[in-house]
Amino acid sequence: MDYQMVPSICPYCGVGCGVLLEVIDGKLAGTLPLKTHPNNEGKLCIKGWNLHEHVVSDNRLLFPLVKEEGRFREVAWDEAIEISAKRLKAIIEEFGPDSVGVLTSAKMTNEANYLIQKFSRAAIGTNNVDHCARL
Amino acid sequence: MNMMHEIVKEWLEQEKIDLFIGYKVVDGHPLPCFFTRENIDDVDNLVESKARYPLEKIAAKVYSTHPEMKIGILARDCNQRALNVLYVWNQLDPEKIETVGINCCPSPAREHADCSYLEREPSGPLKTLIGIENNLKPEQAEVYSQEERFKRWSYEFEKCIKCYGCRNICPVCFCKECSLEHSDLIKKGELPVEIPIFHLVRAVHMAGRCIDCGLCEDACPANIPLRLLYREVNQITARLFDYRAGTDSGQSPFSILGENVTLEPMSL
Amino acid sequence: MTNSMKEFEDSGCIFVIGSNTTETHPIIAGRIMTAKEKGAKLIVADPRNIHLAEFADIVVHHRLGSDVALLNGMMHVIVKNGWHDDKHIEERTEGFSDLEEVLEDYTPKKVEAITGVGCVDIERMAEMYAGNHPAALLYAMGITQHTTGVDNVKSCCNLAMLCGNVGVRSGGVNPLRGQSNVQGACDMGGLPNVFPGYQPVADQTANEKFSNAWGKALPERAGLTLTDMVKGMGDGRIKALCVFGENPKLSDPDSGHLDHVLKKLDFLLVQDLYMTETAADADVFFAGASVAEEDGTYTNTERRCMRGNKAIDPLGKALPDWDIICRLSSAMGYAMDYSCPEEIFDEMTSLTPSYGGMTYERLGINGLQWPCPGKDHPGTPYLHKDNFSRGKGKFHAVKYLDPDEMPDEDYPFFLTTGRMFSHYHTGTMTRVSPHLHSEQKSGYIEVSPKDAGDMMLNDGENVRVLSRRGQIEVPVKITSRVGEGLLFSPFHFRENPINRLTNPAFDPIAKIPEFKVCAVKLEKIAE
Ligand code: SF4
Ligand code: SF4
Ligand code: SF4
Repeated sequence: MDYQMVPSICPYCGVGCGVLLEVIDGKLAGTLPLKTHPNNEGKLCIKGWNLHEHVVSDNRLLFPLVKEEGRFREVAWDEAIEISAKRLKAIIEEFGPDSVGVLTSAKMTNEANYLIQKFSRAAIGTNNVDHCARL
Repeated sequence: MNMMHEIVKEWLEQEKIDLFIGYKVVDGHPLPCFFTRENIDDVDNLVESKARYPLEKIAAKVYSTHPEMKIGILARDCNQRALNVLYVWNQLDPEKIETVGINCCPSPAREHADCSYLEREPSGPLKTLIGIENNLKPEQAEVYSQEERFKRWSYEFEKCIKCYGCRNICPVCFCKECSLEHSDLIKKGELPVEIPIFHLVRAVHMAGRCIDCGLCEDACPANIPLRLLYREVNQITARLFDYRAGTDSGQSPFSILGENVTLEPMSL
Repeated sequence: MTNSMKEFEDSGCIFVIGSNTTETHPIIAGRIMTAKEKGAKLIVADPRNIHLAEFADIVVHHRLGSDVALLNGMMHVIVKNGWHDDKHIEERTEGFSDLEEVLEDYTPKKVEAITGVGCVDIERMAEMYAGNHPAALLYAMGITQHTTGVDNVKSCCNLAMLCGNVGVRSGGVNPLRGQSNVQGACDMGGLPNVFPGYQPVADQTANEKFSNAWGKALPERAGLTLTDMVKGMGDGRIKALCVFGENPKLSDPDSGHLDHVLKKLDFLLVQDLYMTETAADADVFFAGASVAEEDGTYTNTERRCMRGNKAIDPLGKALPDWDIICRLSSAMGYAMDYSCPEEIFDEMTSLTPSYGGMTYERLGINGLQWPCPGKDHPGTPYLHKDNFSRGKGKFHAVKYLDPDEMPDEDYPFFLTTGRMFSHYHTGTMTRVSPHLHSEQKSGYIEVSPKDAGDMMLNDGENVRVLSRRGQIEVPVKITSRVGEGLLFSPFHFRENPINRLTNPAFDPIAKIPEFKVCAVKLEKIAE
């Protein structure tokens, strides 16, 4: 029997309510408001209260896929990465780095966002990087 | 190490309990935490906590998957009352629960919820004018005429953002199928919620169950005086059936460290 | 936001324009209600009769897209009556006379003709906003998602500066961010023209700094915005697209067009949690981790950078987002070998002055609000306390322009889009959540009782909605939330993809499409 309450942040709207993720025996079991958090002081909206549900949903896709002849095939990470790198490199070589566009995410962490723009600018060599938050 | 730590360690070591549910401070925030025999030194970090979480609800979750576990709980008066309700409704087995009682309220002899956590900042002028002051006692709310009361409550209900937080945090809400989610009963997908049905359905369901811990009101983003609402309902239950949810006549006096609950659960 | 959420509880007046706060930012709505109960005045301006309006002292339903006119009208009245803050304007702003000149024209009468808001209401709003200091102005996508989005924002700033509400506690101009880390994505340089901390890519010093730090000469010319990328995909300039955690196929305007151009790509890479509409078109799909499965920081709408903590290991073979990017970058020949998010954070803070004083340890659970430039800087609850970031605050003389598309004989209805309380964005995260799904299972279009009566539509009946760009079918919801001639539909539902209809015309500067206004017609579907 293992039980953890892990403080985290609600991933939905820009309020960023403090939550406690309830983990029982390594499984995400529930969400509670963090009562002492300055943003929400122990309150959440319906989305925050149910945030564990989107994580444990059966609809999650939990492995990388590669499309071949119109159909997805499950692959190992190394293969997915290698194929992507190869295709991107070929396109950059032929059409230049500005033929690639990158969309970062307003839902991912700062660290991921930092890396994505660094990847675009340094690895690909383009400033064609934007996010969808205008939408 | 204080007396509370000693007792919990002793219970864990003597296998009187398998785990203890209390609080621990992480980055300045008290969080619910499990203390176990394997990690017994951690018990030194056990604190009473200024913030309250429904520890008994967490215990019931453990019980549902690990019914053999013997669980110790840090119990304020409200936790004690909630435990008693959960025993009555077979959500927990009193044989499996040991409590360390803490005296959290300032007054030595008190009614339900005459508790230091529940007194809120006085309401603003507008709320006093058209809504319901959260700190009112049921008798005080009775001075309004029927019509005015309805108006005032309607104003409060109108603020609801339908987070279901009042139900989710409530230690004695455990129904698998919740009436609040029956689309035949309450219209879905809209704000404001249907007034007054949404709140009345919940109030009625709290009759004879609500132990007046105030966690729902704490969790309500709209600051609706939910505790008062359920107290009113419970007064009716008390008057009609002479029943008070979660109270046991023989409960130990409110010492710093109480004994475990030894009472027979009351039947309805 | 210039200010913090908690401060609103002590505002003298809260002016909410273009934000359906109780549904999209419910916790902020709670603070607004508390403020109101404590004695603040509340003004709500929204084309729809939103939930928050029930609590307002003044509610106006201005015509879609007429925000600049409404705000100019308020300012006209304020200046006419001398309610503006002369001292503040004198000491801390510039450009007032230009604004004054433009305002001259916006008499309540003229504004009434444009916005449909009565002269008396315009005067009352002006008086209430100017007369209850400090006044906080809150807005959301209802202000920005217009071809005149930047003008709208400028007008909001004009109003706040005019009454001395910038740089004061409980006042300010406060955009409510729609997604958890929009603020962070922008701060981190997820934009075509700036590095992290808004340091321009074209600025030589900044470019050198980042080129040195990253060991590579970096491009100096600003890149394409999403809107321009879509164009580039159409004309073949963009050959490959990498999409991290977004679903533009459902969220973009005129999505039929996007559908078409995505197919033209040589290579589409999508990283997400689910098989989204966009992911279905991908050549390669990366399985990312959810918020509960990785460590990292998020920056909320009040600029508060906070830590999210990993609660469980990534499910299945999913990987943390940062890890995936490191692998991909390394495979492309640009090595990234970070061992944990904290290492990335520390590199970022060393290059980003406004985050410079932050460390994981300092953030703790409460986080810190930027700017936080030094190790002992306490963070900044509200901006511009003593000075504006660019020296003096500048008034912008802004004139009203019509939305790109107005109703006409062929397409007589105004259509606006947005969210509802239990769903979020394209629904990918919320529709898989049983409790959220059960609140609202399908899309709908709000129609006023009068229009529904005229067309003999029944509640729940499927109706066809057509714009110049496409058509969809969607169930009718008859409600007085919308007035005559106005329709509203949420964009969370793939079966009723309302963005097939919306207008991709965008703001020339911000490049934000006009989701909030387009012209459509309704057709009853013959039985
Ligand atoms: S709980 Fe609701 S209000 Fe809070 S961050 Fe999440 S979505 Fe926003
Ligand atoms: S006060 Fe509220 S949370 Fe506590 S038992 Fe009663 S209804 Fe439940
Ligand atoms: S906690 Fe308050 S706002 Fe949430 S559902 Fe209950 S009454 Fe409504």
